[in-house]
Amino acid sequence: MNKLVIADPGKCIGCRTCEIACVLAHSATDAMVKMSPASFNPRLTVVKTTTVSTPVQCRQCEDAPCAAVCPTGTLVLRNNTVEVIPSRCIGCKSCMIACRFGVIEVLPCDALLSDRPVISGTHVEAVKCDLCAHRANGPACVEVCPTKAISVIDAALFVQAGRKRREHAAMAQAAFSPGEYPGQMGA
Amino acid sequence: MAEKVLTVCPYCGSGCKMNLLVEDGAIVGAEGAHGVTNEGELCLKGYYGWDFLNDTKLLTPRLRKPLLRRHRGEDLKEVSWDEAIQFTASRLKEIKHKYGADSIMLTGSARGPGNEANYVMQKFARAVIGTNNIDHCARVCHAPSVAGLQATLGNGAMSNSIVEIEDTKCIFVFGYNAADSHPIVARRIVRAKEKGAKIVVCDPRRIETARIADLYLPIKNGCNMALVNAFGNVLIEENLYNQEYVRKYTEGFEEYKAVVAKYTPEYVEKIAGVPAAQIRQAMRIYAAAPSATILWGMGVTQWGQGVSVVKGLAALALLTGNLGRPNVGVGPVRGQNNVQGTCDMGVLPNVFPGYQKVMDPEVRAKFAKAWGVSDLPANPGYCLTEVPRATKQGKLKAYYVFGEDPAQSDPDLAGIREALEEMELVVVQDIFMNKTAVFADVILPATSWGEHEGVFTCADRGFQHFNKAIEPKGDVKPDWEILSLLATAMGYPMTYKNTKEIWDELRELCPLFFGATYERMEGLGYVQWPCPAPGHPGTQYLYTGNKFDMPNGKGLLSAAEWIPPFDKLDEEFPVILCTVREVGHYSVRTMTGNCRALQTLADEPGYLQINSADAKKHGIEDQQLVWISSRRGKVLVRAQVTDRANEGAVYMTYQWWVGACNELTVDHFDPVSKTPEYKYTAARLESIEDQAAAEAYLQTEYNAMREKLSSVAGN
Repeated sequence: MNKLVIADPGKCIGCRTCEIACVLAHSATDAMVKMSPASFNPRLTVVKTTTVSTPVQCRQCEDAPCAAVCPTGTLVLRNNTVEVIPSRCIGCKSCMIACRFGVIEVLPCDALLSDRPVISGTHVEAVKCDLCAHRANGPACVEVCPTKAISVIDAALFVQAGRKRREHAAMAQAAFSPGEYPGQMGA
Repeated sequence: MAEKVLTVCPYCGSGCKMNLLVEDGAIVGAEGAHGVTNEGELCLKGYYGWDFLNDTKLLTPRLRKPLLRRHRGEDLKEVSWDEAIQFTASRLKEIKHKYGADSIMLTGSARGPGNEANYVMQKFARAVIGTNNIDHCARVCHAPSVAGLQATLGNGAMSNSIVEIEDTKCIFVFGYNAADSHPIVARRIVRAKEKGAKIVVCDPRRIETARIADLYLPIKNGCNMALVNAFGNVLIEENLYNQEYVRKYTEGFEEYKAVVAKYTPEYVEKIAGVPAAQIRQAMRIYAAAPSATILWGMGVTQWGQGVSVVKGLAALALLTGNLGRPNVGVGPVRGQNNVQGTCDMGVLPNVFPGYQKVMDPEVRAKFAKAWGVSDLPANPGYCLTEVPRATKQGKLKAYYVFGEDPAQSDPDLAGIREALEEMELVVVQDIFMNKTAVFADVILPATSWGEHEGVFTCADRGFQHFNKAIEPKGDVKPDWEILSLLATAMGYPMTYKNTKEIWDELRELCPLFFGATYERMEGLGYVQWPCPAPGHPGTQYLYTGNKFDMPNGKGLLSAAEWIPPFDKLDEEFPVILCTVREVGHYSVRTMTGNCRALQTLADEPGYLQINSADAKKHGIEDQQLVWISSRRGKVLVRAQVTDRANEGAVYMTYQWWVGACNELTVDHFDPVSKTPEYKYTAARLESIEDQAAAEAYLQTEYNAMREKLSSVAGN
């Protein structure tokens, strides 16, 4: 199962520290000097509705629509994530159209503050959460979040959480008295 | 490899310890350190709020040389320190001689300078100038908390500590948006919720804490006193209060009961805009909790009767016995990093350092002896917010503004500008060119946080030492050194060698702080006052044994009649304007507005939060520029349509220089604390048809303002 970064809206305070950390984690070291609204393109976005505050980012779908529609093989399932191979991107935006979460973007390379040499002929790049695969400490957003609202969930954690939830469900079921539901019991 | 320099974050009052990462004499990053309040965490301002030190000039330039104009209307010119000091000293002496010492007004600074510089400033005001006309921005923020709590419990600070918030069983939030004001305190609220605490929120906006609240009261703007009285009414009428506690440790119950009697939830529901059942429910939750903490902010204090509402909140804690033990109490969470410290240092018109009253002859004699002067002024001085009126009446002739920007932060800016123009002498001592400095006759450039050391006091009375990380650029001096030079030039020699020497002098004079030595603040050291002796552990929570700092040791139950907001809505001005905070920017924005990442998140002209129904009514769309005006002015601002804002009210933050909401705010004050009613101004909105033209106008205005500030600063 793929791993993903996800936030708990119950803990998020909407401060956007994660957005800045994300931009800096994917930028050259001089990003603090060069940053501007045009080059500020975090891979997670804090959304605030009336009742919810939370960053939203790539779910690393198992059957990723973005990868399925990409005509150049830019998006590939590798290392339990959906990876981007920037050199293959032609900027056709099929992935943006396909993504159900609105969390992949095609951006001009010069809007990325990147220190990676621009590969000849490529001017655009599909950009999304890569779980900070290049960082020894893992995702920068997880590291800086002051309320520890953001975490990485992998297969093992899903199993653990599922077990806990089923335990809670079992406890709730203890109150069940079949006599009250005769029609449902196939009597 | 970067060197790590341990310091304290210069932004809100949470008191976060952090390391600045320094390479080749420049700051390259910041990381959290394991301080008592922050436990290694920082928010965006802590992580990314240091590059103003590199003089980015995004908003306004750093001041690098003393500047002087001998005649109004001339340009400021670079001068030597000697010339600037001699000029300032001789002008202050002339004005004092001509009009008396009380014609001079001075401020302290609740931001980067630190406690030592503020101690020296108030000493300069009292011992050298000879006036108690000294005040600072606590006046426009938590002054009602200080006054209200001193009058009821005896101590104006948070009774309990930030670390205790997560272990309380009920958090009662009134007019306090922790997520925007103090993310690191918000973190404790989130943790309290995880540990099972009940959360009750009273706020007209659906703030972040309201989202996770067990009960949220979406109150009407301007109902505070009525609602707090109703809470008291419920506690008494439903017999939810602690009778034994009230009998043993409080006084004034009968008078209190008589005042709140009329404020039944049913009577107040129309004023507050929330059902009586919710008012009752809020108190049932609060009273039932084995431990409960009240947290409040500007939503309580920035009103014409803020002091009375603070007293009313203290009464709720007294009625339920939520004081004098861990994980309870009253929490006015201080806004600026050192606003608690600036109060501690006596940068207030009525007290010396350590809250020792200027009216007390014994106290005056003690300070006069220590400072080597024959006597000290006995009458409390002017408050910051009284400056415009006192100037108009011809009573104030000189204004020494230290690390503040009243021409941005105070209400009714047109009135402030008039006063600054009227003054015979305006001295600005700061790190940045700001709106007030435009009116200055002398500008004295100081070192910034990061460029000097000292002690800050965070919101819960915790003293922490901060280090110098880098060498300042330009011909600048630490604040205390500038003031020492001036004092010496005025015939009162001051020869401090370092901040520790200043700290030791003030410790000796302040029993509350005596045990808080530099040695104890080394590293992550955290000393909470009262700390009367070197071996004393410091005080995590006040009023042990339910003994209050009152003459008879008893807490005072106090209530007052509700007074409706001062400014009146009418057909011309039908909308309520309320001023608030936002998380990525701080104070008057000289610091955060010059930080690349923070400015990228939010820039001029700033935002106007407006409910979607109101936006529709006015034909305003999200992110469009709009005009907002009041009886005092008109500014351009960008609409942010959100249903977190209630209908009928709009919200702006005071840090924007183009969209400056204080051009609009009303100069109506609490009679005791003289704090302005920033939370309620009658306003009018106008949508703009030609958005492209408005955007172009905004850019023109923004650039013109930046160019003007730059040219005045000589950059």
